Amino acid sequence: MSLDTLTRPWKAFSYGFLDASAKREMRRKILKAIAVPGCQMPYASREVPIARGWGTGGLQATLTLVHPGSVVKVIDQGADDSVNAASIRRFIARVSGAATTLDTLEATILQSRHRVPEEKLRSDQVLVLQVPNPEPLRPVEPNMSVARQMHADADYGRMWLQLYEQIVRSGRVMQGASYPSLVNGRHVMTPSPIPRWDVPKLNMAEHLTILSAGREKRLFAVPPFTRVEPLVFDDVPYRVEEHGALSCHRSGALGFFMNEIPQEDGTARYEISDSQLGVKHLDGEAPGETWYRDGEFAT
Amino acid sequence: MAYVATRGGERAIEQAERLYRAQMGEITPARVAEIERALPHLIDRVMGEASLYAPDLAALALAQSGGDLYEALLLLRAWRSTQPRLQTAAPVTQEVTLTHRRISAAFKDIPGGQILGPTLDYSHRLLATEVLEGARFVPAPVEKAARPAPACHPSLADWQKAQGLVEAPALAPVARDAIPDLTKEPLLFPAKRAHTLQSLARADTGGMLALGYSAMRGYGNAHPTVNELRLSEAEVIVRHPDGTEFSAGRVKTSQAEVVTTKGEGKLRLGFCATLGWNEVKTIAGATLDLNAPGAPKGSPVNEEFFLYHTEPVESSGFCIHFKLPHYVTFQSSLDALRDAKKRRETTEEPA
Repeated sequence: MSLDTLTRPWKAFSYGFLDASAKREMRRKILKAIAVPGCQMPYASREVPIARGWGTGGLQATLTLVHPGSVVKVIDQGADDSVNAASIRRFIARVSGAATTLDTLEATILQSRHRVPEEKLRSDQVLVLQVPNPEPLRPVEPNMSVARQMHADADYGRMWLQLYEQIVRSGRVMQGASYPSLVNGRHVMTPSPIPRWDVPKLNMAEHLTILSAGREKRLFAVPPFTRVEPLVFDDVPYRVEEHGALSCHRSGALGFFMNEIPQEDGTARYEISDSQLGVKHLDGEAPGETWYRDGEFAT
Repeated sequence: MAYVATRGGERAIEQAERLYRAQMGEITPARVAEIERALPHLIDRVMGEASLYAPDLAALALAQSGGDLYEALLLLRAWRSTQPRLQTAAPVTQEVTLTHRRISAAFKDIPGGQILGPTLDYSHRLLATEVLEGARFVPAPVEKAARPAPACHPSLADWQKAQGLVEAPALAPVARDAIPDLTKEPLLFPAKRAHTLQSLARADTGGMLALGYSAMRGYGNAHPTVNELRLSEAEVIVRHPDGTEFSAGRVKTSQAEVVTTKGEGKLRLGFCATLGWNEVKTIAGATLDLNAPGAPKGSPVNEEFFLYHTEPVESSGFCIHFKLPHYVTFQSSLDALRDAKKRRETTEEPA
C-alpha cells in the first residue's frame, strides 16, 4: 500500500473548482430549498476566487450544477458583455469546460444579476439569480435571527405596514426592484433586485429558479409551477415599470425593459436591457417566445 | 474604456488587470522571501484573518496584491477553501504553549511572572530618517537575562478559579473531529461557542478594533481589564495513521483574556485567540466577547452584530461591489419616483 494507490493524482483544484464536500452541501441545500419554496436555507458558502458580493452565491450554485455538457449564459443587468458577467462566464468555462452562449434559448444554466431574460425559459433550463440581500424583512428587521423567527411565524405584518406607509406618504408603493413576493402562499421572499417587470416571470414558470446569496450564506428557490405573488393590497394593483410603450433606439425592439441613457441635450434615449434580444432584433433573427408581448405580460 | 462595452467586456477586464499588475512588476521568489522576512507582523495579521497559517503563501499573496490587505486575504481564503482537511489537530491549552510574552494588567505580579517578550510598547516612536539619507539602521543586540524565563506558564484564570473568583465553565467534551467548523457550516445565532471563537479568530483587525473600541468607550456594559495577554507558539499535534501523535510544526498564536468585576459576585471573562501575533485584535475581540452576553440585539456588542460586521472578506467584498453597475435597480426606483412626483403635482391642493 502506498500513497499513490490510496490517492488520486494531484490536481490544483476539483472539477468545477468546489471540492466534493462543498458541492454535496450545496446539492442538499438546493434540494431543501426546492422542497420548501421561498424559504431561506443557510449554507456554509465557500470562498471562491471572486470577491464576496460579486456573485459568489450564484457562482457556487452554478459550479455545483455545471457539467461538461452544460451550456452557460451569464448576464449582469441584462447584458452578457458587462465586465463582471464576462469575468464569471470566463471562470465557469475555465474550471468546468462547459460551453458558453449569449443566446437565452441555447443555455441550460443561466446565471444572472438583477434581470430575468425576456425570452421565456423552459423546463430544461435553470435560472440562477445572484442575491445581494436574501432577507425581504431587512428594511423592517435588520437582525437575521429575529427575521428568521418572523418567517417561521409567517409574521409579515410589519412588511405590509411598510408598503401601506409608502402608499400613504407617496401615493403608491415606492419599492423599485427586489419587490417582496409570497412564494407558494407561505414564505415571503425577495426575488433579488430584479425590476418589478421581471417578477411575474417567476410565477408558475416552467423553469427552476435558484436564488443564492454567497456573502449572506442563504439559498432559496422557486420550483417550476410555483405561485410567486407580489405583496399587494386588493385595491392597489401591482404595477411594473412603465416600459411597455418604449422602444430601443438601436434595435427598434418594442415593449421590453429598457435602460435609460441620458443625452447631452437634456433628453433621454432608451436601449433594450436584454442585450442579446437586442442583437437578435438587429440581426433580423426571430426571437423565442417572450413573456411580454406588445409591452403587456402575456398570461 | 467603456464600463459596459458592447462585446468588449472581455478585453477591458484583461487590460485593466494588466494595468494593475504592471504597478508591481515582476514577482520573484526573492521578493516573496523578503516580504516574509521583513514584515512578520503584517504576515501574522494576514494569516490570522485568512485563517491559514502559511507564511510563504501570505507573503506571496501580499506580493501579488501589491499590499492590498483585503485582496491578499481573498487570495488566501479562496486558496484555502479548495484544500482538503487532512486532520484536526489536538486542542492547545495555555499552559503548554511556548510563551514568548505574557502579561497581566490585573495584578502587579502573577504566578510564572510577567514576561515582556518582544514589544514596542515602551519604545519612543521616532522615525529612523537617517536610513533615507543612506545610513543603516542596525538594531542593538538583545542581551541575555541572568535567568531564562520559563518556556511554559500557567493560566492566570486557573488561579482565579481556584480562588473561587471565576466560574469555571462546564466542560463540554467533544471529539476532536466533531468540533464545529465555521468554514463548513453556516453561522447561526445564538452561535455555537466554537463558531464564535473561530469567527473572532478570522475577523478583520481594523473592524474588530472599531467595534471593540466603541465598547471600551462606553457603548458596552463592561470595562475590560487585561487578565492575561499571551503571545506564544503552539505545537500542532496530529495523529499518524499508525496511531502515534506527533508535532507537525509550530504556529504563532495570540490570546487575550479580559476580565470585568461587574457581575453576580464573580469575575466575568472575555476571550479571543488568533493565529499569528496580533495584540490589538485579540484585546478588542476579547472585549467584544466580554460584553456580548445579554447585549441587546442591534447593539455593537451583540454577537450577531459584531461577528457579521467584522468578517473581512464579506464586508470588504460587499463594500467594493457597489462599484458594479446597478442601473436596472436604479431605473426601477426612478420609475416609482417619477410616478409619485407626477401624482403629487396633479393632486396638489391650491394654497
